[in-house]
Amino acid sequence: MEGQSPMVLKEIEVTKSSLEGKINLILRLCGLVLTLVAATVIATDKQTTVIPIKLTDSLPPLDVPVTAKWQYMSAYVYFVVANVIACAYATLSFIIALANGHKSKLLVTLVTLLDAIMVALLFSCNGAALAIGVLAKHGNSHVRWNKVCHVFDKFCNQVAASCLISLLGSLVFILLVVLPALRLHRRT
Amino acid sequence: MVTTEIENKSSSTESTPPPPAGVDFFKFDVILRFLLLGASVVALAVIVTSEQTELVLFQGIPVLQPAKFKYSPAFIYFVAAFSVSALYGLLSSLASIYLILGITASTTGTAGGVAYIGLKGNNHVGWIKVSSVYDKYCKHLASSIAVALFSSIVTILLIWLSVYTLQSRVPK
Repeated sequence: MEGQSPMVLKEIEVTKSSLEGKINLILRLCGLVLTLVAATVIATDKQTTVIPIKLTDSLPPLDVPVTAKWQYMSAYVYFVVANVIACAYATLSFIIALANGHKSKLLVTLVTLLDAIMVALLFSCNGAALAIGVLAKHGNSHVRWNKVCHVFDKFCNQVAASCLISLLGSLVFILLVVLPALRLHRRT
Repeated sequence: MVTTEIENKSSSTESTPPPPAGVDFFKFDVILRFLLLGASVVALAVIVTSEQTELVLFQGIPVLQPAKFKYSPAFIYFVAAFSVSALYGLLSSLASIYLILGITASTTGTAGGVAYIGLKGNNHVGWIKVSSVYDKYCKHLASSIAVALFSSIVTILLIWLSVYTLQSRVPK
């Protein structure tokens, strides 16, 4: 850094920052699309299956239709809400980044601070949804929670797909904050 | 004595040009890192010591059934993640503390999601609530998750502080 002349340094700085701005915009767009898709995939998730229930040995089994919806599980409600919030925030920050560039330092700082909250929100909702997904898949014999995914196979697959997409979304959000952090470390 | 010292300090900062940022915030940084370490250790200690054995009816027969954190994969993940955050929270730089934030937030979500089912149950899939049986165990879990939430918030504050100090030190 010391050996280079200030002019060269400034030019490098400008080209680097425009590249970083582009990466920033692309990452925000990716985060927007991924969280939107994750929320949509789980929000359209509904399955009704018929399970036979045997009341007594003499009678033939009774067919009972059962429905699985994402609203029935509080963790999935949290998952949808968190993904929608992250999607709305990604849209807002994309517009801010597009309109502002890197001119207003206050806005850049504000967006960086809010990015950290979005990372926490997305990671926690992924953790909650995946934990319930694992319980639904395997059950837990110690507290006698039975597995339900052999009944609601399509529902569980759709939840798994949604979790994967949302996990990718949260990785995009963490890249969004780690890349500028690495750059700041290099510059100081 | 104290007030005069403070006055002296404020007058000296007013007269001299402001010192480079980062010197002032170093103290907060160290305090937050030790808070993170303390919270992680407390969360670990509380969840590891949570164990309760109760008589439960199993097909009409009362059986002594213990409840341990090892029985749920979510709580094993919780213990593993907080061991990591206790070890690395002290040393990490800004880029890696984002990863610590990811780990603590996701594990708080995981343990919270499972503990919520334990607290309320879910009648749609026939998962009974267990907090009425294992009351002491559930209290341990709840306080551990509360401390975990606190440590996530401390991590966010640490990130904000680092971002603020680094951005104010960046040459324009």
